Amino acid sequence: MRRLLLLGLVVATGLVSWVGWRYGAVTLRYGTVVYPVPLPEDGKVLGGVYRNDYFDLSYPLPEAWTEGLQGPDPSDTGYYVLTELVPQPELNATMLIAAQDMFFASKPHGDVAAMVRDFRQAMSEVDGMTIDREPTEVKVGDRLFHRVDFSGVGLYRATFTTAIRCHAVSFNLTARDPELLANLASSVDKLSSVAKGDSRSPVPICVDNYAVPENTLQRVEPAPVGPRFTPIPVRIIVDNQGGVKHIHVIHATAEQRKSIEDALRQWKFKPYELNGRPVEIETGLVFRFTVAEK
Amino acid sequence: MTKHAWRWSIPGIAITMLGATALSSGPALAQFRQPQPQPQPSTATAVDPGPRGGAPGAGGPLPGLGANEVAFFTAATDLFNEVDTVPLGLGPRFNLDGCGGCHAFPATGGSSPPVNPQVAVATANGAKNTVPSFIRANGPVREARFVNNPNGTPDGGVHDLFVITGRADAPGCNIAQPNFAAALAANNVIFRIPTPTFGLGLVEAVPDSGLQATFAASAQRRGSLGISGSFNHNGNDGTMTRFGWKAQNKSLLIFAGEAYNVEQGVTNDNFPNERETDPNCQFNNHPESATNFTDGTNGASPASGFSSDIVNFALFMRMLAPPTPASGQAPVTVASNGTTAVGTAAGGSATSTTPSSTSITAGSQVFSNVGCSACHATSQKTGKSNMTGQSNVTFRPYSDFALHDMGTGLQDRVSQGGANGRQFRSAPLWGVGQRLFFLHDGRTNDIVKAIEAHSSQGSEANTVINNFNLLGRTDQQNLVNFLRSL
Repeated sequence: MRRLLLLGLVVATGLVSWVGWRYGAVTLRYGTVVYPVPLPEDGKVLGGVYRNDYFDLSYPLPEAWTEGLQGPDPSDTGYYVLTELVPQPELNATMLIAAQDMFFASKPHGDVAAMVRDFRQAMSEVDGMTIDREPTEVKVGDRLFHRVDFSGVGLYRATFTTAIRCHAVSFNLTARDPELLANLASSVDKLSSVAKGDSRSPVPICVDNYAVPENTLQRVEPAPVGPRFTPIPVRIIVDNQGGVKHIHVIHATAEQRKSIEDALRQWKFKPYELNGRPVEIETGLVFRFTVAEK
Repeated sequence: MTKHAWRWSIPGIAITMLGATALSSGPALAQFRQPQPQPQPSTATAVDPGPRGGAPGAGGPLPGLGANEVAFFTAATDLFNEVDTVPLGLGPRFNLDGCGGCHAFPATGGSSPPVNPQVAVATANGAKNTVPSFIRANGPVREARFVNNPNGTPDGGVHDLFVITGRADAPGCNIAQPNFAAALAANNVIFRIPTPTFGLGLVEAVPDSGLQATFAASAQRRGSLGISGSFNHNGNDGTMTRFGWKAQNKSLLIFAGEAYNVEQGVTNDNFPNERETDPNCQFNNHPESATNFTDGTNGASPASGFSSDIVNFALFMRMLAPPTPASGQAPVTVASNGTTAVGTAAGGSATSTTPSSTSITAGSQVFSNVGCSACHATSQKTGKSNMTGQSNVTFRPYSDFALHDMGTGLQDRVSQGGANGRQFRSAPLWGVGQRLFFLHDGRTNDIVKAIEAHSSQGSEANTVINNFNLLGRTDQQNLVNFLRSL
């Protein structure tokens, strides 16, 4: 009987571990460091669905579509190529899902609407490009997107952009003809949340520029290592007691990443208060080593 | 629970967890980790018409320079084309014996010529060098870098192809070439070809804020194309660096000084020590090229005569005009005061043998539409320059001079400054119409293959190349024709 109970425990443990891996609750990165929080770049296509736990997005791919080539690593301006999707077997359209961390954008914008207007302006200045749909608010699931369509040289494109956790998350669609584009755009309507209704776990509110001296009670400088003068963007989650709960070094060498993580774990902030109560927040800061490595 | 039961359960848990993961997620893992087959474009791809014929639209000085500057340029051009010998500083190790041999085509200052001079220099003047297998008579001039040291730590440095052993002007020197065959067998060697130096004075004259402004202006567009990018920086003063395949060099003077020592073995004011220290191969005092205190004559330019070689080389490049495109569109379009620096460079206008101007104009539109110009930024603008007539000049290099991740297909696994092993500077495309070899290692002479090589795992260019593959054949061909018109 005991052995049966033990066997059941073992099977349950294995199952829980698999579920954790499968659905992103446990993510192992960079050797032994364990991040309990999903990262923006951890989204993946499994079983015909693109799923991103950080952004709480689930997108069923159109039939016969797969992931294309992998994109670059996250950039030093907090830009992510989340995935690029392509049809099989013939390339007649593509979809790029990307995100820009609004904390680190090389051209800051107040909100996603302003960013999309700027994008529309930039596209209108491209020689031979026509704006087919002015920036328009569209509702997909329970999210508000800003859609803009444009075309030129026989390529028809639409971009859907929304704000999630202080990121501009965009779906960039390109097709050979307007009908293909329309079909692809309609597939975006199937976008939904990973977690449904009440089962969604709360995410920290994002607060720009919180890691400033007036909010920092204890600060330990990271040892300068690796290339100098290169910006290193970092997102952190500060818990409701002011401790650093989670560190995401977005773009750095391995030695820079370790140096910054070691230092940031020792930082202490004034707890952020919302309606008089301390709450967990997500904020960003940029390191730039300018002195020589010792 | 008995002791025995615990002994059973601990490995049991581990095995069961592993088994559960493997069994239940096996297909998912396979999908995630194995490269997916890539869809095929439904149209035939374009054809490279080959390098544009006619006179080279390059090689002369910038329009608008003063008489003394032009005189210096003319004198410096002669030094740039000088062939070095051991008494003049060549070796002990080297890749070629003159700047102008590598930077040769379609005019002095350019890139690899059709006949690779490295084959002949291997045995010149009695030398006994073996020509490495990656050097071919009709291939590109190449330098070789080793990725790692024998102990596995990163190397990345240039390992010169040749030695002066056996040359009549190097008696007693007996050093050996690196073992390139072994390095090739170990996949430990990568190649670089010469970057063209046309128009680089204008590039040098763009303030950092100007490069940043151009970069920021395309930020939203890049974001819709999967492109990020970043600048390389100088480790001493923190300013942007912009020369070389990875934008690793700060200035044309450093570029010249490093190349003089590394490629030819000539010590100089910037790099005054020999890399090869074998005492039997030292024939000169150092630096082998330095400021001349007494002899101020060099053609019509005393300033050139007093200056060391690397100052001459740097000023030659600084005053070297951009290539003139076949379309006749001036490479330099706006002058600081509206009176100078407008029009065709003195090197002469190229005669177009490329397809119709209609196709080229349409191709320019394709270039912008599919997203090439998001990195190969069409125009930049100089700031205040001490070269006559070169302030506030708008020019068309087709580069943002930023680094971009080019993926596993183009990676060379060599880090330089802030550039990692997959990052390269957006190669300036001006003059590409008359280039013979493409990409950092000269792996192809077909511009269509060079375009397609931008796409691989991890590359920032994947979406743009997908756009290229989505084009109809006519638009693709127009784009290629446009590139060959530059």
